[in-house]
Amino acid sequence: MFLYSFIFPIISIISIVGIIIRYRHGKNSLSTVIVWSAFWIFVILFSIFPDFSSTFARIFGITRGLDFIIILVFVILFYIILKMYFIVDKMQDNLNEIVKEVALKNEITLDDEEE
Amino acid sequence: MGFKISEEDKESTYIILPAYNEETRIQPVIEEIAKKGFKMVIVNDGSSDNTLEVIKESQRKYPKNIFIYSHIINRGVGVAMQTGFEAVLRYDPKYIVNMDSDGQHSVDDLENVLEPLVTGRAQAVIGARPLKDMPTTRNFANAIMNLLTRIFYRVDVSDSQTGFRALTIDALNKISINSRGYLISSEFIREINDNDIPFEEVPIKTIYTPETQAKGTNVSVALKIMFQMIRDQF
Repeated sequence: MFLYSFIFPIISIISIVGIIIRYRHGKNSLSTVIVWSAFWIFVILFSIFPDFSSTFARIFGITRGLDFIIILVFVILFYIILKMYFIVDKMQDNLNEIVKEVALKNEITLDDEEE
Repeated sequence: MGFKISEEDKESTYIILPAYNEETRIQPVIEEIAKKGFKMVIVNDGSSDNTLEVIKESQRKYPKNIFIYSHIINRGVGVAMQTGFEAVLRYDPKYIVNMDSDGQHSVDDLENVLEPLVTGRAQAVIGARPLKDMPTTRNFANAIMNLLTRIFYRVDVSDSQTGFRALTIDALNKISINSRGYLISSEFIREINDNDIPFEEVPIKTIYTPETQAKGTNVSVALKIMFQMIRDQF
């Protein structure tokens, strides 16, 4: 067995426990727990049984198991970036609303200077 | 140009000026507008220089003509315009003009852009800058933006990126502006077109200085606007 067969499952288990703890503290949604747990379970399976990736690769018509893992990582990263983009976009909109509201509620008049 | 606006119409005209880091340029613009007897709503968009102090100084000279709102942080010209459009409704305006505060627009053109609104020929006016007056890079970026505005928003105008525009209160109540940055120019044209608001293009003078050229639609801004236009399609 290779070193990564030990390290990756340990990292995965720690991550899953971390996600569950965050869920119990109300910081994660159930869907986040399911998606991330599934991801880390796949990491465990790929680490302990490297041939497992080849089985998946064949299902998707990819020759090598390693290629499948690389493509999968790219897809996940792309999804994360897209999700972050939408979150930031929403936060920008919220920030704009606050800035506008503050400006509209505080018209600057000469009276302000006299006070 | 022979058109002269009546005092009554002038009283109900408000000019919205978004301002970001314009401490060296804004004062002559606003004081010239005030001298002409127009009222204005200035939105300081979180300037990091002394723009706000300069505007306040002018307000002391023309307290009845200048109304100031200030963003606590910089949010872009689109958001400043949104604040301006919301603020102006408090003063019960009949005509609303929007121009740049950096001095690239001539205050003398105010009556020219208002003429189609006052005479009832149009409800919205776009102040079109002569392409021959523009620097080459700016001209190229504008040509791209006109083409993109035609493709994405299906409106054909000679200057889609102008910051000089005017509209009636009825037109303002019909349109909805949501963009944050320079996309506001194309969005304004799209909204006018989608709401069947009769509009005219009026030729305006443009005063280009190295400082005014540093802002506005250059090629990188054009690319950002294009990305936002594509995003808006979904």
